[in-house]
Amino acid sequence: MSRPVYLAGSALLCARGDSPAAVADALWAGDCASSQRRLGEREFPYFSLPLAEPNWLPRAEQAVRCIAAQLGPLPPDTALFVASSSFQIGHFEQQGAPCNLPVANAEFSRTIADWLQLAGPRYSLSNACISGFSAIDAARSLITAGQIDEAVVVGIELANNLTLAGFAAMELLSPTACRPFDARRDGLVLGEAVAALRLSATPGRWRIAGLRTGIDAYSMTGPDPDGGPLAAVMADCLDEAGLTPGDIELLKLQAAGSPGTDLAEANALRRVFAHAMPPLLSLKSALGHTLGASGIAEAAALIACLDSERIPATAGFADPDPEIGLQPITTRCTAPVKRALLNLVGFGGGLATMIVERR
Amino acid sequence: MIYLTAAFSQHLAADDLPSAVRAALGKPLRRAAPLTQLALLGALASLPAERRHLPTALLWQSTHGPRQETQAMLEELCAGGGEPMPFEFLATQPALAAAQIQPFLPGLRSAMHFPLDTAGLAHWSLLLALAGNWLAEGRYVQVLCAHLDSTADGAAGHWLALAGSRRETARACLRPATANAPTALPDTPDFPALVANWLDQPRASRLHLQSPDSPRLAVEFATL
Repeated sequence: MSRPVYLAGSALLCARGDSPAAVADALWAGDCASSQRRLGEREFPYFSLPLAEPNWLPRAEQAVRCIAAQLGPLPPDTALFVASSSFQIGHFEQQGAPCNLPVANAEFSRTIADWLQLAGPRYSLSNACISGFSAIDAARSLITAGQIDEAVVVGIELANNLTLAGFAAMELLSPTACRPFDARRDGLVLGEAVAALRLSATPGRWRIAGLRTGIDAYSMTGPDPDGGPLAAVMADCLDEAGLTPGDIELLKLQAAGSPGTDLAEANALRRVFAHAMPPLLSLKSALGHTLGASGIAEAAALIACLDSERIPATAGFADPDPEIGLQPITTRCTAPVKRALLNLVGFGGGLATMIVERR
Repeated sequence: MIYLTAAFSQHLAADDLPSAVRAALGKPLRRAAPLTQLALLGALASLPAERRHLPTALLWQSTHGPRQETQAMLEELCAGGGEPMPFEFLATQPALAAAQIQPFLPGLRSAMHFPLDTAGLAHWSLLLALAGNWLAEGRYVQVLCAHLDSTADGAAGHWLALAGSRRETARACLRPATANAPTALPDTPDFPALVANWLDQPRASRLHLQSPDSPRLAVEFATL
C-alpha cells in the first residue's frame, strides 16, 4: 500500500499567539517583540509563551491543553508522536538538586498523552532542531504504508536553563535580536512553542508532497559552509515529490540568524534553485528558534499564513549581506501559494526538508 | 520483504568503552559521549567495510538517554555554576551521534533518535516497520536499528541490521504479520538478543514480535 498523507488539522501556541490563525494575524501585522531571559550575569532575548503560570509543570499542562482544545476531539487510539529536544528538563530544574531524572528519558510523553487524552501508540523523537520533521517523517511513513490511519505529531519546547546555558556556552545566541540572512546577524534567539499537526490518510487541503532528512557531518555545531549536504537533501525531497525547483512558490528558511548556518543555507539554495529562486521567508525572527518544536510550530504557522493567502514579511532583516547574496521577503503580500518548501538545519548536523502542496 | 543481516548485543563495562572504540577504529574517538561511542561500535560491527558506503539509515532508541550527563549539568546549574563547558552541553545532545559516526560510515544518510518513555519497553516494532517501508521504497539500501544505553554500571547495545535485498549473510526475512500471534515476543530493549538466540536454535523457523499498543506493526521473522 502507498497512499498520500494530508494535514488534517493544526494547533499552535507560541510567543505570537494561541492558535495558527492568531499567529498568522500577528505575523501579518509584523509583530516580533521578544522578552528577556536572564542567565547568571547575562541576559538574552527570548520568545516566551503568553502564559502567566510560574510553575513549570502546570504551565506545560496549560500549554498542551491549549493545543488539545484547538485540535478538537481525537480518536483515543490515535498514534502520538512527540518531538522535543528538552522534554521536561525545565521541571527538574525548578525542583532543584538533587535532580532525579526519570529512568526513561521521554517519560514526559506519557504525561502529554494523558493531557491529550490519547491512549494509543506513543513515540518520542529527539533529533535536536529537526525533531519535528523526523516525527512527521516517521508518522507519514506508517500512514503511507497503511500501518496507521492517523497521527498527531506534537512539537514541544518549553523554557529551561540547560538549553539556554548550553547554547550560551557555545556562543550561539544573539545578545540583541534574530536577524535572518542580515549582514549584522550575530546568533539565534531561543523561544518556546507547543504545536501539533494532525496527519491523516483522509484527503485534506494540504498534502505532504515530500520529506527527506539528512546529515551534515562537517562539524558538531555548524553545517558545511558550501551548503552541499543541505542542497542534496532539498534535491532529494524535490525528487521524491516529483517537482522541479521552479515548482516551489515559497521557501520557509531555517535562517535563525546564525552567521555560519545562514550562509550554508544560502549556498545550498543557490545550488538547488540557481535562477529559479522562490520568495524566501524566515519565521524565527518572530517566533524564536523553538528547537525540537520548530518544525511543527513553523509548519503550523506557515500553513495558516498560506490558508489566508497572506505572506508576511521577514522580521529582523534590514542589511543585505553580500556573502549571503539572497534576501528574504521584506514586504508582506497577498498571494495564493500552491507549493511551499520548508527547511530545518539542526544543531548537531541534522538536516530536513519538507514540501507541502495545496490540493 | 526485507532481510536480517545481523542480530547481536554488545555489553561493556563503562570504563571499557573508549578502549573498545580505539580498538575498532585504530584511534580514539575524541570528545564523543558514551552513547555515541556505543553507537559507533555497534554500527561498525553491523556492517562489513565494503558496505559502509551504501545508503544507510540509523534508527536508534534509548531508555536512559544521556541521563548521567544531563543530571550532572543540571546539578551544576542548580548549584549556580553558571554556563557549562561546551563539551558538557554537547554530551547531553544525543542527536550529535550521527555526525560523529558518519565519517566512519560514509553511507549514513539519516539518523533518528527515539527516546523511550517506559523502562523495560522498546519500539522495535516501529523501527522495523520504518526500516521495512524505507527499504521497500529504495530510500536506503540498509537500515540499522538499535537500542543503546550507557549507565555507570555499563553500556549495552542491541542491534538488528536489515537490507532490502537478499545477501549471502542474510539469516532471516521479515514481513508484516497478523496481530495476536500466540507466541509473539514482547517489544523489549533486548529483543535482538532473543532474535540471535532464536537464530541459533536448530529448529528455528518463525518468530513474531508484537507491541501491545501497536498491533498493526506486528512482524514475523522467518529463517532462510
